[in-house]
Amino acid sequence: MTIDFDSIAVGDSMPTYTSQPITRMQLARYAGASGDFNPLHTDETFAKAIGLDSVIAHGMFIAGIAGEAVTAWIENKYLRKISVHFLSMTQPANLDDFENTRDRATVTVTGKVTDKYEENGEKRIRCEISVRDAQGGRKLKGFFVAALP
Amino acid sequence: MADKSKLGMEFPVRSIEVPKNKIAEFAAAVAQLDAIDDVKEIYRDVDAARKAGYENIPIPPTFPTCFPFWTGGGLMGIVNAVGVDLSKLLHSEEEYEFFAPICAGDIITCTMKVAEMYDRGKKERKGWHIQVTVLITEAFNQKGEMVLRARTTFMER
Repeated sequence: MTIDFDSIAVGDSMPTYTSQPITRMQLARYAGASGDFNPLHTDETFAKAIGLDSVIAHGMFIAGIAGEAVTAWIENKYLRKISVHFLSMTQPANLDDFENTRDRATVTVTGKVTDKYEENGEKRIRCEISVRDAQGGRKLKGFFVAALP
Repeated sequence: MADKSKLGMEFPVRSIEVPKNKIAEFAAAVAQLDAIDDVKEIYRDVDAARKAGYENIPIPPTFPTCFPFWTGGGLMGIVNAVGVDLSKLLHSEEEYEFFAPICAGDIITCTMKVAEMYDRGKKERKGWHIQVTVLITEAFNQKGEMVLRARTTFMER
């Protein structure tokens, strides 16, 4: 699965990556893995106390899923920069109402190569990325830069 | 409300060793996997990582988010230090620039400072006035090489 600079053209799409429905259990797992214990992500009573309907996913969990999408395509040793901008909150699926809440919690990562150039003696690509949920809601936009062989 | 007198403040310099098991745990979390054994080999097997061209097990791209949470007072330490209200805190942007690979066993030393603090929107319009804080983290490995520059932007809604 080696991708080289010459085989990529501006306008090429990154392979689309779709997550599983995000659950509260996964938010707990991500909190423990990352050390981000903001109660907003795991404690429903805190979320409600600050006026939200439920806990929400860590922005960096969504970014991590985007990172997973990127490294499914480009090996992570080639990454030089990744930049993300969070656009909206993501509520997890409710296990007691899964059919109606699954789509808001399922995200798809897409990307498009916007530039090819040389920098620091390396052949680099810039690829814009976007994450949306299955209802079309925009979650994240950003880009990465990779140096390719 | 963020305390604007904290603009330019530098956090204490902290070092951590990047733990092998924590990389696999993080990789499982972002890949939404239950079992560590299902994680990509390069994130749990040093031989597979070396075969793929890394000195040791590499970190996933967004793993540097962990560094400030594992040192000092963690999230609350940062929140309290800059005077932000946790109940209004929203993470709005994150950027990592990688200069050299970061792998399991590396000793990473992080400097972090409050680089920007500014208001966006009109004060008199409720819900349209937000305070923005930008933290810049620079990370160096045990060889003294700068491996990462991170830019973290958060706001108070």
